[in-house]
This record gives sequence, structure tokens and C-alpha cells, in this order.
Amino acid sequence: MLRLFARLILRPLKSEPARALLTAFAVALGVAVVLAIDLAGEAAAGSFRSSVETLTGDADLEITAVGGIPEAVYGQLATLPVALRLKVRLEDYATLSGGGPDKGAVVPLIGIDVVADALELGITSEAGPVPDKDSVWVSEGLGLKAGDSIALQIQDQPGTYRVGGVFKQKGKIIVADIGLAQRLVRRPGRLDRILVWVPPARTVDEWQQQLQQQMPAGVTVALQGARTQENRRMLEAFRWNLRVLSYIALVVGAFLIYNTISVSVVRRRSEIGILRALGATRGAILAAFLGEAAVFGVVGGAVGLLLGRVMAEGAVQLLGATVESLYVSSRPAAIEINAVSALLAFTIGISISVLSAWSPAREAAGVPPTEAMARGRSDYLARVHQRRDLLLAVVLAVLAFVASQQPPVAGKPFGGYAAALLLIGAGAMAIPAMVDGINRLSSRLLLRLGGVEAMLASRSLSASLRRTSVLVGALATAIAMMVSVGIMVGSFRQTVLIWMDNQLKADIYLRPAGTASADRFPTFDAALPDRIAALPEVRAVDRFRAYPISYNGLPATLAGGETQVVELGGGAQFMSGDRASIMRRLPTCRCVIISEPFANKHHLTTGDSVTLPFGRFEIIGVYYDYANERGYIIMDRRTLLKYLPDPAPSNLAVWVKPGVDLDQAKLAVERAAQGSNVAVFANRSLRVEAIKIFDRTFAITYALEAVAIIVAVMGIAGALLALVIDRKRELGLLRFLGATTGQVRKLILCEAGLLGLLANVAGFLLGLALSLILVFVINKQSFGWTIQFHWPVAVLTGALSLVYVATLLAGLYPAHIATRLNPIEVVHEE
Amino acid sequence: MDTILIRFERVSKDYLADGEPVHALRELSLDVAPGQFVALMGRSGCGKSTLLNMAGAMDLPSSGRVLLDGQDTLHLDDAGLTKLRREKVGFVFQSFQLLANLTVAENVELPLLLAGGASARERAREALGWVELDGYEARLPHQLSGGQMQRVAIARAVVHAPKLLLADEPIGNLDTATGDLILKLLRRIVTERGTTILMATHSPESVVVCDQIVRLRDGRIEAVETRDAR
Amino acid sequence: MIERIPSRLSRRQLLAMLPMAAAGAEAKPPAWRKALPGYRYQFPRDHFSHPEFQTEWWYYTGNVSTPEGRPFGFELTFFRQGIDPVRSENVWAVDQVYLAHLALSDIQGQRFHHYERLNRSGPGLAGIDPERQRIWNGNWQMEWRNGDQHLTAIAPEFNLRMALHSGKPPVIHGRDGISQKSPGEGRASHYISFTRLLAQGELELAGQTLKLAGTAWMDHEIFTNHLGDQLSGWDWLSLQLANGTELMVYRLRRKDGSIEPLSHGTFVDAAGRARGLTLDEFSFMPSGRTWNRYPLEWRVKVPSLGIDLEVSTPMENQQLVSTNRFSPSYWEGAVRVKGQPGPGVGYLEMTGYDRALTI
Repeated sequence: MLRLFARLILRPLKSEPARALLTAFAVALGVAVVLAIDLAGEAAAGSFRSSVETLTGDADLEITAVGGIPEAVYGQLATLPVALRLKVRLEDYATLSGGGPDKGAVVPLIGIDVVADALELGITSEAGPVPDKDSVWVSEGLGLKAGDSIALQIQDQPGTYRVGGVFKQKGKIIVADIGLAQRLVRRPGRLDRILVWVPPARTVDEWQQQLQQQMPAGVTVALQGARTQENRRMLEAFRWNLRVLSYIALVVGAFLIYNTISVSVVRRRSEIGILRALGATRGAILAAFLGEAAVFGVVGGAVGLLLGRVMAEGAVQLLGATVESLYVSSRPAAIEINAVSALLAFTIGISISVLSAWSPAREAAGVPPTEAMARGRSDYLARVHQRRDLLLAVVLAVLAFVASQQPPVAGKPFGGYAAALLLIGAGAMAIPAMVDGINRLSSRLLLRLGGVEAMLASRSLSASLRRTSVLVGALATAIAMMVSVGIMVGSFRQTVLIWMDNQLKADIYLRPAGTASADRFPTFDAALPDRIAALPEVRAVDRFRAYPISYNGLPATLAGGETQVVELGGGAQFMSGDRASIMRRLPTCRCVIISEPFANKHHLTTGDSVTLPFGRFEIIGVYYDYANERGYIIMDRRTLLKYLPDPAPSNLAVWVKPGVDLDQAKLAVERAAQGSNVAVFANRSLRVEAIKIFDRTFAITYALEAVAIIVAVMGIAGALLALVIDRKRELGLLRFLGATTGQVRKLILCEAGLLGLLANVAGFLLGLALSLILVFVINKQSFGWTIQFHWPVAVLTGALSLVYVATLLAGLYPAHIATRLNPIEVVHEE
Repeated sequence: MDTILIRFERVSKDYLADGEPVHALRELSLDVAPGQFVALMGRSGCGKSTLLNMAGAMDLPSSGRVLLDGQDTLHLDDAGLTKLRREKVGFVFQSFQLLANLTVAENVELPLLLAGGASARERAREALGWVELDGYEARLPHQLSGGQMQRVAIARAVVHAPKLLLADEPIGNLDTATGDLILKLLRRIVTERGTTILMATHSPESVVVCDQIVRLRDGRIEAVETRDAR
Repeated sequence: MIERIPSRLSRRQLLAMLPMAAAGAEAKPPAWRKALPGYRYQFPRDHFSHPEFQTEWWYYTGNVSTPEGRPFGFELTFFRQGIDPVRSENVWAVDQVYLAHLALSDIQGQRFHHYERLNRSGPGLAGIDPERQRIWNGNWQMEWRNGDQHLTAIAPEFNLRMALHSGKPPVIHGRDGISQKSPGEGRASHYISFTRLLAQGELELAGQTLKLAGTAWMDHEIFTNHLGDQLSGWDWLSLQLANGTELMVYRLRRKDGSIEPLSHGTFVDAAGRARGLTLDEFSFMPSGRTWNRYPLEWRVKVPSLGIDLEVSTPMENQQLVSTNRFSPSYWEGAVRVKGQPGPGVGYLEMTGYDRALTI
């Protein structure tokens, strides 16, 4: 058996190392992408905890409250006659505003009770555990020493602080005493979290219930990790979609394995026949070819594991950016590669390889011992089966349609995924007929357009129809993914642009400077908006304040705006209901409006109500929103202040008086904001920034597409190489018949070009169908956004051209090999 | 018009096969006049194929020179050699070497197309007529018998009216009766079109159609016999 | 720095090392009030906080046992240390810090449990509230109710609740309202004790609730640090004798091995009358066995009162081992006495033995 394997499989592999390597590498890339997305997703979703927590270990319970916990709760808990261990936290971010390589970096700023915790944490100044005024403690990762000074921007305030001491911690983190932290982040009297360790006398759940009863309204006691769980849940759909997207690269890899094994089988048909005649069993033949696939799987898995680890680093950066702008501040955890990831890599690599090889290996096993028939039979069969395959394609397409109409399961669009997969299957089934049909129809045309080489290329592709179809299928799948995501993103982008036109009506927008994130709402000095409102250039100011909250186990954003001011310009577009009357009611009623993603996530609509920690509020409207995926609950500012009386706003929108020069007004606003570190955007530049964030969000999908395309193009290169080797006699003959080496090169490039063209056509059509599923099913069910369909013509044209050029380039090496063939040797007859 | 179509001047051909030097031709000289049907005879490995390849400008001598219609093949680059081939040489092979994906007509017109010719289809039809395969244009090679395939191959070899036709064991894969037909066809080409044929063969019966028999042994000419085949 | 501290140094070493304590003491010496002669005591006011002084503590120790006779010793101490004499309105200001120690000596089980905690007053974390007659640090507290002092201490391994009823009025140590620690104005403290508190309460330990009864001692000392720099440690002893009298003696050890001449003691007779003892009136010397360099056996003699007692401990390890680098370890535990004028129980504190007291 081993000798059989060596003779039938290993030796041929060795004789064509380039092609074997290409195939293995294609598998490796597929595995790597899946692994990278998995690892990176885990890392990006894994660390919502501050790294100070790693010093104290995991608490049992966490106490939080919308708008912060009244600090008295800490005293109340501390004096309870229960042996609780308590840690209080104020959590925010500071921007390093000094010089040096870290300038502009956003680092966690953690307020702790230094007096109570210092001894345990080892956070101590040189002199002792009592905080100096305006001193902060820094982690070793910041490379500072006690007595240095550090420039930080916190909220909108720049300042310089003394480094009171350094504590052992690798990352970059700043710790301040709670009193200083409250002042700096402008949350007087409030704590963000109280971590609680409970004694073992009762279960954690019992303690949770008991403590909850003693908390004032609005304060929540939850099991430790609940917040992380919530964030993970929120990210789940996002990660699922990425994961599915990453599988596409794997599907492309599967096509290529299928192709490679098919080529092996076709080439060694007579050899298989001889071996069978010599007594090899069907099972042995089957096992040998599956073994070949498994070799690719193992090599691909091993390389993919390493590659995936490397790619995960990059992916984490991209993912982190997306997560930040759409969901929640996260500091990516270290990427951890362990036995599970290794197992995953090999399992994926081997199973995808063996599965894809199953059909050709079975065909090999079916070769009768007498077989010594020439190449061409299976291709002939492929042509015969076209009709049946076409029918199957139609059936699959219908099934895809049915699947796409299914509701989401547990918030995940499995119907959409199934529809996408079925559509790809339908495409794969329809492609042979398409390739054959196009080739037949275009043969004479090609002769006229591209000369004899094009005609020969077309014939050759058509002759090895099965092989060609698989290649076209692989590349078409990658292209389809690119096209569909391209259309989806393009549509989304256009939708957002239109939405911004409606939504962003003010002239000038302000927020505290620094990196934006979906769950971070740094505030202004409450006096700033009044100063701005008093400017002669200014007509009105909308003070917007947002709080990150948890709603039914999912993170969300609660915010208040000045309805009457917002009404100046128009503003939100509602899914239903009359906006004028909604906006009229909002300031006075005990009611809210909610964003579309929030409505979808919690299955709420106009007329329902939301239950907040401080009461129930009627939903009087659902508005379109594309700002982030967390979802908004918005009330009038006055209503919000009634329950959360902190007047500091987190965003300001400024309307300028008619006739006032906008630049002049912006200057005036900037002058009024002097002393605060504030980002001031004219309407236009805010939109530019918003679109920049939008584009950054999709960076990861572009990266995934690129990998799928690379895998496919590599497959094309490998397959063309195989075609060259299989047809070397024919290519040599052409030289006898008067072909120049240039003509031979052109012939191969024509084949590459034809493959690219066919794949582009098939991929475009398939991609168009997939984009409908993406836009109207997967996206809608996963994220709850209504997206208008738009054609991103320029992007698509560019991308398709790029892929086309890439396939041509993929033909260069095989073409070079073809021209190097010695015609005498390859035509030599014995 | 020269009286010599192809001239071998002290041609040697050495190459390495599996690291061992092989002397395929040793200082071989031979002149072939236009309109001659020359048979090259000898055992396998005696240098017949090497000689044919050199005559067809597919291969170049290690020393000495080959003049094809007065042109020294050593003085031509790849493009020049291809041009020479396109204009003056046709090849016929033992195993026909038809392109399986192309129809009979497409196979035949291929040399014209590769040479950039335009009215290929008409000339292909003519050539097929010449080998008595009218009406077979749209067939695919696998639908033909061996003799038919070789006739298509011959049509392909003469479609561009070459002065020299090189045939490497053209009847080696055919039964005797079919082989005789092919030999007659080749003779007709020499006689009616004035084409020169160099045919490698080791079947004694095939020499009946030839004007000259060149016997090769170990890369050297052992004997040259001339006979009247008309 | 350590050398300037008059007594009960160990628990305050932590405080003494606080940078602000030093800065406060040195940069703003006039801001803190000194313990000077002629102080007019007034109760219950003087049972509570004196924030104009830098340092203050309330110190409870006791020997108690279950009805079956299982003996325990306990210690609960509340410290207040001024960091900045200027009071701040900010809840989180660190103008005062509060330290507390809790220890339980399970003599039968020979297990010693001890904890410490540090807090600022914060949002009700620790403090002294004369209105509610309460002194607390987290969930360790002393509360006056109906003239009794109620102690509550919650720890991971045990909960202790004690009601302390004083059979005698408070004793004011020293002369003219001050207990002079070394020569010089202000190098003294206001030092108040309840020398015989009848203790009754409950201990929850290892899933059991034990009834406890016995006697306890309370020290309340108020001062601003001003002492010489020759101290290496001290030994302090309080005794409650079966005949209804109490004795407190301490000696301040100097680096040269001599004893500070101002070291003194107090004798309280059965009627509650206190009498000060100067160093030449008593002797207080180690007399034998040691454990980890701590002398565990002592001899106390007051010839004028006919007192000659041998002091020993029922449990060797009553050392409060420091878990941080700011406070040193010290020994503080229950002791037994026998001799003239009869048996008794008490508490012994020894500092400066575990390591060199340098900073």
C-alpha cells in the first residue's frame, strides 16, 4: 500500500514541485485565513477588561449603573456586615499627548482607590501608598519612571501629570486615584464599576440577588464577565459573518484541491489501469488519491497554522478598528495559538482536502483494470452531463431563494448563509455549460479577434472542460465574493452618504479630541456649550449626551438631545410615523425614539416600550441610523437630565446664524473652546471623517477578498502549469507546424485571459445574486440595517480589471515554461 | 533555382542523454536535389530522426552546417528558423499528431494560421481534396481511421506548399494496405507537386516509392542507393 | 523617623511611613496641636476624634472564653492618622487615613488570625462619628450604645461581636493630663484607658457560633509626634488581676540598650483609683524563653504595691506578620500571670524585635 502510494502519488508530486507547492499553498492560505479570523476575532472580542483586572484576578460580581454608580454605594457595601472584598473602578481613556513614539495613542485610564488597593496591587509611589495630588501611576510599558511628567488629554482637557510611581504591567495603562480620576474624567460622585468578591458561605448567584436587593434603583449587580459576555454576544453576528466570509477562501481552496486531484487521476489513468491489473484493489486506489489530498491537507494545515498566526496579527489590527468604531472599545488580547488552533488548522486542511478529493478519487477507483484509454473521456463525460448539471443548478438556485426567505435563527442569518452556499453550488453546476457554450460560440470570433492562438486556447480549455470549469468555478467564487461584498459595501456607503445628508444638518460639530469609539463618550466642560451658544455667530446649540448601557443583555447607547434644536434642520428619518409629530411629542412625553438596529435587535417597534433602570418609556418612533451597531435609545435632553443629572454633553452640534460666514463661525467656536482639547468639524469635514471611519470598518473584508483572489489566482497559475505539462506534445507540435515561441507564449496567456474572462463573467453574475442575499438578508438579519441597493460601478470595474490582470499575470510563468519546452523531446516518438 | 534543396556539410550532432555523450550524427554530408523522394533507413538510434529534425530546422548541428534552400540554419535566429519552417517545410509523424480538439479542417489550416495567413479555410479544403478527404472537414480526429488521420496530417503538411516534406515513419502505425496507400500518396506529392520528401523508415517495402535510399549507421552514411521509382 | 514615636509604635509604623505624614509633620508643624499639660478632659467628647492632633487610636484587647472554657484573645484597633491638617471638602481627599488591625488568638487551636486595612474616609468608608457615637473602618466598628461599647469585626475567617461594659471610670494616664514620652514640650500624649471592660459576645468561627465572655482593655491615645530619635522598640503590658486591680507598664528601649527613663506605668485599684508609676517604682524585664527573638516570659515587680508577677503566654505565635513592605511585623497577644497578689490575664505587645527599624 505504501509502495503503491509512493509510486502513484509521491513520485508524480515530486516531479512537479512547483504545482504541488502551489496547491499546498492554496490550501494553506485558506486554512490561514479561517484560522486568522478565528484567532483575531477571539483576541478582539476577548479583552473588554482592563489590564488592571489581571492584577487583581477575577471578581465574582460586578456592580454597574447607567451614568455611573453613586459613590455612596461603595461606603454602603464597605460597611455591610459581610466579608466582601471590594474594588472600585473608574474607567476611561487618556490620549498620550506628549512627544515620543506613543503620541496620540489612546490608553486606558483607570481610577482606583489607591489607599485601599495600593498595598495589594503593588501600585505605590516611591514614598508610600498615599496619592500625591495630580500624580498618576503608569505601567512599565510606558517606559517612564517615578518623578517624570506625562502629558495627557483626558476628556477634552489637556494636562500634564506627575508620574508618582510605576507598576508591573506590560501594556500601556495609567492609574490614578479615584478622586483625581473623577475630576479628570468629569464624573464627580460616580464610580463606573465595583468589583466584588464574595465569601463562600453562599453561591455567587445568591449573593448577586442579595446584594441587588440592597442597591438603589438603577444600580445593577451582575456576575463577573456579564459585560464581556454581552459584548461577545453583540459581536457574535459580526464575527459570524467574518467567519463565513473567511470560509469562502477555503471554498476556493477546495476547488483547487479538486482540480489537482482530478488532474492526477486523469493523467494517471493508464497507470491506474495497470496497477489494477496487477492486483491493486479499488479501495487501495481510492485511499491513494485521498492520501494525496491528505498530504496537501497536512502540509497546508501546517503552513496555514503558521501563516494564520502571522495573518492574525494583521487581522487583529483591522478587526480592532472595526470593533472600535462599530461596537465597543476593545484592547486586543494577545493572540493565543494553542493545541485547539493547531487541531483546527489540521482538521480544516485535511477535511477540506479529502472532501474535495472524494469525487476524483472515486473516479480513479472506478478505472477498470483494462483501462489504458487516452485522456478525453472524462471531459467527454463532463460535456454529456451538462444538461443534468444545469438542471441541478436551477434546483439549487431555487433552494437558495427559498433559504434566503427564512427568518434568522438566534439572531444569525443561517438562511442567508445557506442561500449563499447554495448559490455558489448552483454556480459551480452551471459553469461547465457556460464555459462550453461560450467557447463554442466564440471560437471563430476569437480567431478573428485574437488570432489562431486565441482560438487554440479556447479549444484547449473547452477540451479539458472539467478542469477548466473547476478553475473558472474557483476564481468565479472568489470574484463573486468580491463583487457581492463590493456591491454590499458600496450600497451601504451610498446609503450612509444619503443618511448623512439627512442627519447632519448642523453647521459645526464638536466632540472631545481623540479617537472615537462606539461606546466611549468623553464629555465637555458643561460651561463650554453656553459659551458657544452666546457667540453672536451662533443661532443654536444641540447638547447631546450619550451613555453606554446594557439593554436585555446587550450593550446599547442611551442618549439625550435637544429635540427643538435638532428640529431646526430636519434630522432623523423615521421608518414609520410622521416625523413632525414625533419630534413635537418627544420633549414633553415620557417617551423615546430608537434606532433601527436597536429595534431589530430587541424586536421593538413604535408603540412598544423600553424599560430603563429608571423606568419605562414609550417608543414613539424608529429612525434610520447607521452610526453604529449598538443601537440608540434617544430621549429629549430634559427628560434625560431628570434621571441622569450630569449636564456635561458628549457632542455638540452648532447651527450658525443665516448669513454668517462658516469659516468665521468655526473660528469663533474654536476660540470659545480654547483651553479644552476639542475636535471641531465643519459639517463637510465631519462627513469626510465619518466616511473614513466607514471605510476603515470594511478593511478586513477587503483583506479577506484579497486572500480569496490570491488563492484563486494561484490556482490558475498551478492549473495552467498542469495544462502546459499535459499538453507539451501539442505545444511542441505547434512549433513543428511553424509556431514561434511568441505564439506559444501568447497561446498560454490567451488561456489565462480566457479563464479570467469566463471567471469574471460567471463571478460577476454570481456575485450580483450573492449581493442581493448580503444586502437584503444577511446584513439585515445580522445587523438590522436597511441598505439601499447601489452599483459601485467604479469600484467593481477597477476590481474586476485588477483580477483580470492578475489572472493574466498568473499565466506568465506557465507560458514561460511552455516556451522553454524542447519540441523535439516532447514530440519524440518511441 | 539551385540544384540542391538541402545540403548537409560534415554535420555532427552530439548531445548528452542521461549524462552520457551521444554522437547522433558524425560528420555526415548529404545533398538532396529538389523533387527527390529520399528514404532514410537504418536501425533505431542510427540518426534518422536527428537528420530529419535538422533538415526541418528544428535542430541545429553541433558542427558542420545545414543549408536549406541555400540558407544556413546556423545563421538564423528562432524567428528566422520558424519562418524557414513555415515557408519551406512540412512534417508528417508516425502517430499523426493531430490536435484532438480541432476539426479536420482546423488541423489542416493550422500552419497557415500560425503563419498569419488569411484565406486558410479555402486552401485547407483544397489540401483535403488532394488527400481525398472532401467532406471530412468538420470531423474530429477521433472520428477517423488511422489512414484517414495520416492523410489529414499529410494535408496539413502540404497545405502551405512547402518545398520539403519530412516524414518520420509515416506508415509505422498503419497496416500494410493503408501504409501502401499513404506511400502512394506521398509519391504523388513528389511527382505532381515537385515537393521533396525526406522519409525516415525502416520498412523495406516503403523504399519502392523512393528515388534514393540513404542507409545510416551510427550517425554515418553507410550507403546511398539510387533507383528509378517513376 | 520611627524613633520619634512614643509608644505602640508598631501599628503606627505604617502611618509613620506615609509620605504625607512626614511632610505634614515637618512642613506644617505648627498646624498640629500638641499634647500639653493641663488638658481638660470631657466625656463622651474625648472618646471620639481629635482631628487637630495628628495621631489617634482606639485600641481594644481582651481575654475571653466560651462557657466550656475555650480561651480566645482578640485585638481590634482603629487608627486615625492626619496627613494634612487642612481639611478638604472632597470626599476622596486624603487628609486623614484610617488604619485598622484585627487579630484573633485561638489558644486551644493554636491558630492566630490577623488582618489589616487602610482607608480614607471616602464615601463613608471609615471615620469617627460623634453624633452616631461610632468609630469604624469598613465593616469593623465600635459603637457606643447605652454606655456600652459594641464591637463588630467581620473577617473572611471569623466574625466577632462583643459588648463591652465598663466596671470602672476611664483612667487618664500620666500627670496633669499628659503621658510624657520623652523630655521636651509636646513629646507626650493624652492617654485614656478603660482598664476593666466586662466583655460578652459571639464569635462565628469555622461554621460555629461561640458565646464568649471575659475582660477587655481599651486604650485611647491622642498626640502629635514629637519624640527623640533614640528608640529601637518598646514593650507594653496590660494586666487584669483576679483581685479586681489592673496594672499597665511600658518601657521604651533605646538603641544603646538602655531604657528611656520616662517609661512609666499605671496601677488601678479595685475601686478604680489610678496611681502613676515611674520607672524607678517598677521593674519590667524579660525572664526566660524567647520565640523568634521575642521574649515570651517576663517578670513584673512593683515593690511598693507588693506586686511580683511572672508573665507567660499560652500561645507562642501571636505575631502580626506584615503582608506589605510598609509596615513591620510585631507581636501582640494574650498572656497569663501568676504570683503576687494573685493570678490574672493581660495583653503584651513587643516591637522592634523582628528586624532593624530603619527606613
